Amino acid sequence: METKFDVVVVGAGPAGASAAYTAARHGLKVLLVERGRGAGSKQVFGGRVYAAPLREIYEDFDKEAPIHRWVRKERVSLVHGDRMVTFEYESDRTVSFTTYLTQLTSWMVEKAVSAGAIFVDEVRVDSIVRDDAGKVIGVESGGERVYADIVVDAEGVNRLLLEKLGLAEKTRPSQVALGVKEVVKVGEDKINERFGVAPGEGVSWVLTGDVTGNMPGGAFIYTNKDTVSIGVVVYLESAVNMVKEPIHILVEKLRTHPSLSRLWADGDVMEYAARLTPESGYRYMPRKLATHGLMVAGDAAGLLLNTGYTFRGVDYAALSGYMAGNAAVKALEEGDTGEENLRRLYEKPLLESFIVRDLKRHRGIEWLMSNPEFFKKYPALATGVACRLFDLEGEAPTVYEALRSSASDQGLSLLRLVLDMFRVVRKL
Amino acid sequence: MSTGEAKPKLIRVEDLLQRTVYDVDHRAHIIVDPEKCARCPKKPCTYLCPASCYVLVDDRVVFSYEGCLECGTCRVICPMEAITWNFPVSGKGVQYRFA
Amino acid sequence: MALRVIVGIKWVPNTQAVRFDPKTGTLIREGVPSIVNPHDLDAVELALQLKERYGAKVTAISMAPPSAVKGLEHVIGMGVDDAILISDRVFAGSDTLATSYVIAQTLKRIGDFNLALFGQETIDSSTAHIPAQVAGWLELPYIYYVDRIEDLDLEQNVVTVRRILEDRLEWYKLKMPAILGVAMKSQKPRPVSIYNKLRVRMENPIKVWSNKELGLDPRCLGLKGSPTLVTKVTWTPEVPRKKQVIEGPPGEAVKKLVEKLCGEGVLPFEC
Repeated sequence: METKFDVVVVGAGPAGASAAYTAARHGLKVLLVERGRGAGSKQVFGGRVYAAPLREIYEDFDKEAPIHRWVRKERVSLVHGDRMVTFEYESDRTVSFTTYLTQLTSWMVEKAVSAGAIFVDEVRVDSIVRDDAGKVIGVESGGERVYADIVVDAEGVNRLLLEKLGLAEKTRPSQVALGVKEVVKVGEDKINERFGVAPGEGVSWVLTGDVTGNMPGGAFIYTNKDTVSIGVVVYLESAVNMVKEPIHILVEKLRTHPSLSRLWADGDVMEYAARLTPESGYRYMPRKLATHGLMVAGDAAGLLLNTGYTFRGVDYAALSGYMAGNAAVKALEEGDTGEENLRRLYEKPLLESFIVRDLKRHRGIEWLMSNPEFFKKYPALATGVACRLFDLEGEAPTVYEALRSSASDQGLSLLRLVLDMFRVVRKL
Repeated sequence: MSTGEAKPKLIRVEDLLQRTVYDVDHRAHIIVDPEKCARCPKKPCTYLCPASCYVLVDDRVVFSYEGCLECGTCRVICPMEAITWNFPVSGKGVQYRFA
Repeated sequence: MALRVIVGIKWVPNTQAVRFDPKTGTLIREGVPSIVNPHDLDAVELALQLKERYGAKVTAISMAPPSAVKGLEHVIGMGVDDAILISDRVFAGSDTLATSYVIAQTLKRIGDFNLALFGQETIDSSTAHIPAQVAGWLELPYIYYVDRIEDLDLEQNVVTVRRILEDRLEWYKLKMPAILGVAMKSQKPRPVSIYNKLRVRMENPIKVWSNKELGLDPRCLGLKGSPTLVTKVTWTPEVPRKKQVIEGPPGEAVKKLVEKLCGEGVLPFEC
C-alpha cells in the first residue's frame, strides 16, 4: 500500500493541529501524525493561553474551547525566604485563560478531524524523507513511508527530525529551559475563596527569587477550574552549574512554601509533569523555517516569548501552524512547493508578524539570564526593603534608608542599583 | 506559620511519579552508554532529570526509563553525549491528563 | 483452508493510575485512562506470528463499551486484520460466567476459526476464568500458559504448543479448533505501524455486534446471567515489618542482609 497526501503534519500539538485544521478546511488531503495515544497525551505547558490568535483560527473558539478560567488577576512576586513583594494587576476582560493543554489540544485535533484531516495516533515519525534533489517528499515510521507534497514539522521542542535533516543543530543548554509542574486538586469554591476570584475567573502568577533555588528562571501558579498548576522553570545553561538538589524538590518546596501552601492546603497532587521550552528570543529559531516541501512550526521553530512577567507559546504555536496551513494551500494552488516559494508564503509573513516582532523586542530576559546574580539579589533586596518599611518594631525608616540598608545587605551600591533598574526597565 | 496548620511534607519523587500515568513499554526508549557515563565528572542528569531516572549508586549512574516524563533534558545537558534519546513508540510512555 | 485466529481483548483501566484516597479509603478514578489488558498483547503478538508463518487471518474480539474501539484500533495498528466489538447494554454487569458465555457464542457465530487466543489473565481482576470457561461452553480443548506455537498441521488439524511453568516446559498436541491461554510477558508485542493505523481510518475494519446480531437469551446475560456475588471487600492485613536499613556498599550490604535472613531462618536453603 502506498498512500500520498497533500500535506502530512508531524505532531498534533497546538501548531500541528492548527496546521492540519487550516489545510483540511481548504479541502486539502491532510494526514496528522501523533506519537502519543489519542490527542493531547504528551502535552505539557505552564497554564495560560492568550485567546486572540485562537479566535482568529477557530471560529467556534469562544463557544466550544475547553476554557477553565479567564485570567482576571495578574501577579508578579519577588520571593526571598517566606517574604515576598507582589505586584498585582486586575481587570475584567477575556484576553487570556487557563486550561489543561491536554484538553485544549484534544479540542483542536477534534476540529481538525471534523474539517476532514485524517488523524493517526500512536505513531512516532522516525525521519522526514527527501529525494535525491533534496526535496522533502514524505515521512518514515518503522521503515514505512507515507508521501506528501508538503510536510509540516511541528515535532515540538525536541527537534529529533530537524536535527536528522541537518536543518537544526543539536539543542544546547543555552537554548532551552526546563519546566517542572504539579497539578494540585483544590476544589472550585476553595479556589474562588482563597484567590479572591468569582466563578470562571482566575489568577496568573509569576514568581522569582529563591523559589528557583536562586537559579535564573521563575515559578508560576495558575488557577484552573478546580485545580491549581504550580511549577518552576529554570534555564538549563545556568542550572547545569548551579543546581544543588534534585529538581523535583524545587517544585515540592514551592508546593509546601510557608507563604503559599495555604492557597492549596490539603490539595492532592493529581499529576506531575515536565517539559523543555525554547529559550525566548531568536536563540532557538532554525536558520530557515521552510525548505523544499517542508515548513517548521511551533516550538520546533523556537516560537516562545518570555518577557519575565508572562509567557506566550501556545498561541504563537497555533498561529504559526495556521500560517503554515494557509501557505500549504497557496503553494499547492500555485503548484510550487519549492524552498523559495514556501519561504515567501510562510517564513516571510511569520517573520513580519507580531510574533517575531515580539521576540525581537523582548530581549530583556536574555540579558537577565546572563546575570544570574539578579535572580538572587533583587528579590532579596525588594523583600528587605519591604520588611524594613512594614515590619516595624521600633524606629520607622524612610524609603531611602530602607533601600540603602537593604542594598548594602546584598552588596549593591546605589549607583549599581540605579543602573540595573534602568537596564531592566529598558530591556523588559 | 501563625495558623497552626501542620506543615505539609515534601513528597518523594517515586511517589510524585505515581501521580502520573504511564503505559510502560518493554522496549527502553533511552539508552545510556555506561562507559562514557562513568567518565563524566559532573553527572548533571542526576540532579536535573525531573523524574530522577538517573540515580547515583556508589559513584555510578543507574538509569531506568520507566518514570521518564519525556522532557528531553538529559539529552541536552549530558556533557558526554552518552545518551541515545528518542520517544517511546506505539503510544507508550507517559500519558498526561491534566498538564 | 486458510488459518483463522481469534484474539480476545479486554479493555481495562490502567491500574497503575488507580490510587487510593488515604482520607476516604476509596479509589480515585478521575481521569484514569483505559488500555488494552497488557497480557492480551502477548496473545496478539503470538497471533501475528501465526499470520507471518501461516498466513493466518487474525480477528480481535472484545466485549466492552463503545470506548473500547480505541483498544481495537491499537491491535489493528499492530497488524490484526479486523475486529468485532461486542457491545450492548444488556451485557453490562456481567461476571466471568456471563462474559465467557457471550464470547463463546460470538466464536460460534464466527464459526470457522482454528485457534482462539486469550491473555492468561487481566490486570483489573486476574481471575484467568475467561479462556477456560469459553473452552468449557464450546467443549473445546484448552491449554494455558502457552508461550510458543511449535507446529501447526492444517491437514491433520493439529496444533503443537509449548507451555511454560515455573519449573518445567511441557508440549501438547491439540485438535483444532482449540483455545489457548497465552503466558504473561512471554512475547514482546510489536509496535503499531503507520500503515496499519491508516487502515483503521480508511477501511473501517471494526464491526460492532449487539445482542441483535447474537440473539442470546437475556436471562444468561449481564447481571441476570451472573451468579457471582461480591459479599465483602477486605484489605490485605498489615504485616508488621522490622524495617531495618543496612548501610554500606551494595556488595557488603547484601552479605549482611543474607546473614541476617539466615539468622531469622527465613531462607529456603541451608546457610
